[in-house]
Amino acid sequence: MLKIFKKNKIPKRAALLQSNINFEVLPRTTLLSSALSKGIDWPHRCKVGSCGTCKCRVVSGEVKPNIDFSYTLNQEEIDAGFVLACQSELLSDIEVEINIKNKEKK
Amino acid sequence: MKFFINARYLIVPISSLITIFGIFIGSTYAWTGVILFGLYTIIDTLTKDIHLKAEIDDDGNSYGIKIFQYLVMYVMLPVFITIQIILAWRIYQYTSGVVLQNLSLGSIEYQNGISGINLIGAVISSALWAGLGIIYGHELSHNKKEGFFVSRLIMALSGASHFTYAHVYNHHLDLGHEDDPATAPRGRNVYLHTWLSHAGQSKFSFDMEAKKLKNQGKSFINKDNRWLLGYFYSLPSIFLFIWSGGLVGLVALAAVWILSNFLLEALNFMGHYGLIRKDGAVEHRHSWDNDSVFTSWFFIEIGRQCDHHVRGETYFWELDDVGGPNYGIGYFSLFVLTLYPPLFRKFVHKHLDNWDKNFATDEERLIANKFNIDQLGKASLVS
Repeated sequence: MLKIFKKNKIPKRAALLQSNINFEVLPRTTLLSSALSKGIDWPHRCKVGSCGTCKCRVVSGEVKPNIDFSYTLNQEEIDAGFVLACQSELLSDIEVEINIKNKEKK
Repeated sequence: MKFFINARYLIVPISSLITIFGIFIGSTYAWTGVILFGLYTIIDTLTKDIHLKAEIDDDGNSYGIKIFQYLVMYVMLPVFITIQIILAWRIYQYTSGVVLQNLSLGSIEYQNGISGINLIGAVISSALWAGLGIIYGHELSHNKKEGFFVSRLIMALSGASHFTYAHVYNHHLDLGHEDDPATAPRGRNVYLHTWLSHAGQSKFSFDMEAKKLKNQGKSFINKDNRWLLGYFYSLPSIFLFIWSGGLVGLVALAAVWILSNFLLEALNFMGHYGLIRKDGAVEHRHSWDNDSVFTSWFFIEIGRQCDHHVRGETYFWELDDVGGPNYGIGYFSLFVLTLYPPLFRKFVHKHLDNWDKNFATDEERLIANKFNIDQLGKASLVS
């Protein structure tokens, strides 16, 4: 019972492999909102999980998706480890690659 | 201060309970929901010139209490279910020919049985307040956890569970673009928009689900089909009303659904009428704000559309005036205007001209001019 209240209260860290940036992600906070609050220029647009602009690839570690990514990402992307940063909370420290080339889907 | 800022958003919950109580008491009190709607229209109109900014403390934090506001929104699901149950009870009494007589339950006197005219009042009251439940279905659609599911259930009570997906994946992405069925182009009236927007959003949700299932190698008829599931969530309402009154029950439910969806689509209509977005990010200029004080409190800040569409992840109590296009009046007042399309078009004309002049980009202005010529038979003041 106590474990339920204790879980996920420790901040995790996200490391951006291509830019050597490392920042803290608080519990119940998304990867994108944490990045933006640190002043990181993370590509984003809708912030509600529908455009896919903020997608990134998790190389190591685990995230908790707040939505079903399969509406926005295709199966190949999901299999390759892509997640939507605006709808991902961290379950562990992670290393990510950001696809900064794909800023606008539409 | 903190108490007041949170309590002011309780107008709909309290009014919904009063409406339920009115239907329970019966006789002419069954019209309570309609009377409240009319009363609020007057209040909204009288206070249209009062506009407030979002209040924050010295540290820049909102006074909103998240756990309280979410609790209220979740509690609204059983409240809306109760509205349907109390209406179904009255329909049962009417179709069973229960004799009109005054009874008491403890110290509360109520009329057992209901006349046809007062049943109509109960149906319209229920429909109006079920329709206003949209504001909670909308807010919770932006919560990606259990709130999303509660949103689906609230919308299912109006036969519109597809809204939750379509709103997030279609409306928020394609706003102001021809791909968004919830954006009304210039020249369209609210009645036509209701049907086109409702059907368009359901089709979007259908197509999105079909594509997802195909990608996953699953058939369309599947327990994971959330478009289908959404309509299944509406089945308890259908069974309840058929059980309560057969054909009369079904007609009453149809009336509730039509009127509540009309209110939903009227909000979409008012929120983006005539605004145009060329490809690119959604900006403040792609929505109309309706943020007079009563509208803000009653509609839990849903009228701060400009901020909401740019910061879709933001809680309603944190939304603010961002200097976007603004009708200058509240939703109740504007809703009355939309009911008579020529009057609405006359009212909105100056606002659209202002948008074309002061908000639109060159590309958007070109499209606006085309609409103005094709749909309205005039060129914009801006060329």
